[in-house]
Amino acid sequence: MSEVLTKTQEIVKEGMTLGADEVLAKTTFGRYRQTRFSNNQIDITVAWNDYVTDVTLAWKKRLVSTQVRDFQNTSSIVKRLFELAKVSKENPTYGGIAKGTFEYSKPTADESLRELETPSEYVLEAIEAAKKEAGEEVNAGGTLFTKYEDVYLVSSQGPIGQDERSAIELSIRAFSRIDASGHGVECCSSLKDFKPARAGEKAGRIAKLARNVKQGEEGKYDIIFDPLFFGSMLATWGSMASAFSVMIKLSVFVDKLGKKVGSDIVTLRDNPARYCVSNHVFDDEGFPTQENIFIDRGILKTYLHNTSTAKIFKTQTTGNAGLVQPAAWNIEMDPGDLSKDELFKEVKRGLYLTNTWYTRFQNYATGDFSTIPRDGIFLIENGEIKQSLKDLRLSDNVLRLLNQIKGISKERQHVHWWLEADPPSLSPYVLAEDIQMTRPK
Amino acid sequence: MERYLPSQGSYVNEGETMEKDITDYALDYARRKHIQYAEVRAHRTKNEQLVIKNGVLDAFLSTIDSGFCVRILTEGGLGFASTNKWTKDEAKAVVDTAYKFATMAKRKDKITFAEEKGVEAKWSVPQKKKIEDISPEQKIEELMEVDKRLSSQDGLNIPGRIIACSMTLTEKYFANSESSIISSFVPKIGPFAFITVVENGKPEQAYKQFGRSGGWEAFDEWKMAESLLHDARVLQKLIKEGKNVKPEKMDLVCGPEVTGIAAHESCGHPTEADRILGREMSQAGRSFIYQGGSYWLGTTIGSNLVTIVDDPTVENSYGYYEYDDEGIKARPRYLYKNGVINEFLHNRETAAKLGTRSNGSSRANSYSREAIVRMANTFLLPGDWTQEEIIEDVKYGIYMRSFTEWNIDDVRFNQRYVGREAYLIKDGELKHPIARPVIETTTQTWWSAVDAISKEIDYDAATCGKGDPMQGAPVYTGGPTIRLKEVYVR
Repeated sequence: MSEVLTKTQEIVKEGMTLGADEVLAKTTFGRYRQTRFSNNQIDITVAWNDYVTDVTLAWKKRLVSTQVRDFQNTSSIVKRLFELAKVSKENPTYGGIAKGTFEYSKPTADESLRELETPSEYVLEAIEAAKKEAGEEVNAGGTLFTKYEDVYLVSSQGPIGQDERSAIELSIRAFSRIDASGHGVECCSSLKDFKPARAGEKAGRIAKLARNVKQGEEGKYDIIFDPLFFGSMLATWGSMASAFSVMIKLSVFVDKLGKKVGSDIVTLRDNPARYCVSNHVFDDEGFPTQENIFIDRGILKTYLHNTSTAKIFKTQTTGNAGLVQPAAWNIEMDPGDLSKDELFKEVKRGLYLTNTWYTRFQNYATGDFSTIPRDGIFLIENGEIKQSLKDLRLSDNVLRLLNQIKGISKERQHVHWWLEADPPSLSPYVLAEDIQMTRPK
Repeated sequence: MERYLPSQGSYVNEGETMEKDITDYALDYARRKHIQYAEVRAHRTKNEQLVIKNGVLDAFLSTIDSGFCVRILTEGGLGFASTNKWTKDEAKAVVDTAYKFATMAKRKDKITFAEEKGVEAKWSVPQKKKIEDISPEQKIEELMEVDKRLSSQDGLNIPGRIIACSMTLTEKYFANSESSIISSFVPKIGPFAFITVVENGKPEQAYKQFGRSGGWEAFDEWKMAESLLHDARVLQKLIKEGKNVKPEKMDLVCGPEVTGIAAHESCGHPTEADRILGREMSQAGRSFIYQGGSYWLGTTIGSNLVTIVDDPTVENSYGYYEYDDEGIKARPRYLYKNGVINEFLHNRETAAKLGTRSNGSSRANSYSREAIVRMANTFLLPGDWTQEEIIEDVKYGIYMRSFTEWNIDDVRFNQRYVGREAYLIKDGELKHPIARPVIETTTQTWWSAVDAISKEIDYDAATCGKGDPMQGAPVYTGGPTIRLKEVYVR
């Protein structure tokens, strides 16, 4: 057993010796690197190292949490935490944390990302790819992020686990004119699959197409969503599938289990698989993560649970703890049977939206929302891109959008971008019909 | 081993303090390298968070986080590294990493910092009732009481309730190679609530955030339960009596909450100089203000009644500070003045690029994050009307007291606000509630339409989002009641 695991285990023992009913400790040694660039130059490269143990303790249904840094002062911190539990208030709905011993898949983190210290070459490669598509005048900016986490989890309820989590993510936005831009991302858990030029090419291609922009017109359109745009929608819906969101009505899925919430071709899974940047072999209770289909051919099948919320809903945990708030890891939309090109040919007159941001709700329970497309917005006529547009806003409803989905591409992309497409997703091109767009007046 | 601010650090436990010999060592070690500039910034934050969900205390989190970062400018490039491990070996490694990263940049366009003199200062925000003296039991009871009040009102059904409260005590220490040494202590409380009211099977929702720098006394002053009950009754009435508005041009009277969000989104953000210069282009975006474009310093953006200030020095505000995270003295910034674009928010890097001085707008929310250009408290200055006079002067229009959905494009020009509490105004009188009226307009149209501003001003706490990784910054938004003349509302 490694020294770190032993120290993590000692924290759990200390808590139990004090009289706690359950103790869970998760140590993360995180090594994060990020290069930020704009105007085709590197602005700054940052590194942050984190040595932290998250400690959660339950005593008579009182749940309290703290953090230990670099295993300093663990005894006094755990004692204070137990004292806090004693003066805290009972949570009658608390259902405990996962019990048992579990077999976990072997972590497959990429060791080369642990030591990667000079990633600027990838940034330059992406910028060059954007220039190749849209010309030397391209102005590009973005971030390159890498992480390598060693995670050790010990629970008084049985689970003991070790995970290694790695990721490399590039986000690049290219401007071919001040008002003509495209955005590309490249997200992987290992360096060998990472192709920064792909993101640069896409950003450059869209930026070039977006030139000669005209004012868009308000109205209802058939819309093809790019995987990056749709990743934002999938992230929102994944968050709404959390049982926590359902309990506080921050979700359109309240009281809809077993009911139709989307068109028949919509199947959504949560799956923190090896390829994804949020890969996990166990959740924050030490329960093995799994693939969960939460919308199956348009029918809402389950919420995403930890042990405690599962008890409230009289079901089993789905391996999505968060001890307070279960959360989606990585949303996968099942592919359709059309290619991207075939999907475009389905559109007589519509829009192709490449990216969005600032999705906000009037009412989460009814699903009324708007979001602002950014980067290339294109008018499609007879399957062809005809005109670059600007100043349009998608103003509609989540359930209507889910039900208006009429086509899904075979091609999918793993996307994760800032807060706008987070949690990450495996996202296809999607065709939805008759969607409301508005514009400023 | 020396502790910072020992007189203020009553919550300090052995071994959890910041260690001056480590940060001094880091700065000395950095100075020995070939640098243009180096700084070390240490934070130590005690954070408590309570989450009350539908009447039960879900969890009580209590953490102490401390660490430090080093930022180095050399050869025109910037490098940054941070750690929460307080050892000299780690400090050396952090400096070496930041230095290496700075040299890797190899920029054609070299970064420089606007000139500043070194400064020594200590500042803190006083507390009438020290947060650290309030027992966990009292904190729990007072928040539970808010929930109890919400759940026990006859005739009011609020089945979805979340009330969360964050209390932070933050010590900071800043030192740089120009001999600045600044230490500070800021206590903050930031509760928020999200409620769902159901009436006749129909849900409506409201979110409310509170926030202040200072002690527990803020909790008594907010009267959270009354404020949330007001919102709940508004939602209930909206479901029962709300009517749609016929889309057309009309006068729109906006309360301070709506004025404040518009000031934040369409004045504060577009005048951030890093955004103007493109540094945030792939995340928070750019600005409609850019060199060579239609809008720049001196361009008219609104009516001459419109003056919007960003001021970190508003006492006890959520965005309060005396020195920014580059050690620059804080002062009010007049962003739009009499309807004209007047000043940008700067850090030392953006100020140098645009040939001016920093106005103290550099903020970081953790030792592990680079300080970037941020707002503090952004608000429209008051006018000479009363709110009553403004409403009485409207023949036909809408009074939008608060908002629900809102958003703005990434150059901060095309924006939309949807009313939550809103009423029809007819012949100078408030009539029935209006269900979710929408204004979707541009920055220029909005601020140009302002023709009346009230004397009274009010602030709302908010968390401003920017940076990658995201750095939520506590701010105030605010302003008086305003009238927008003849704007399109649907």
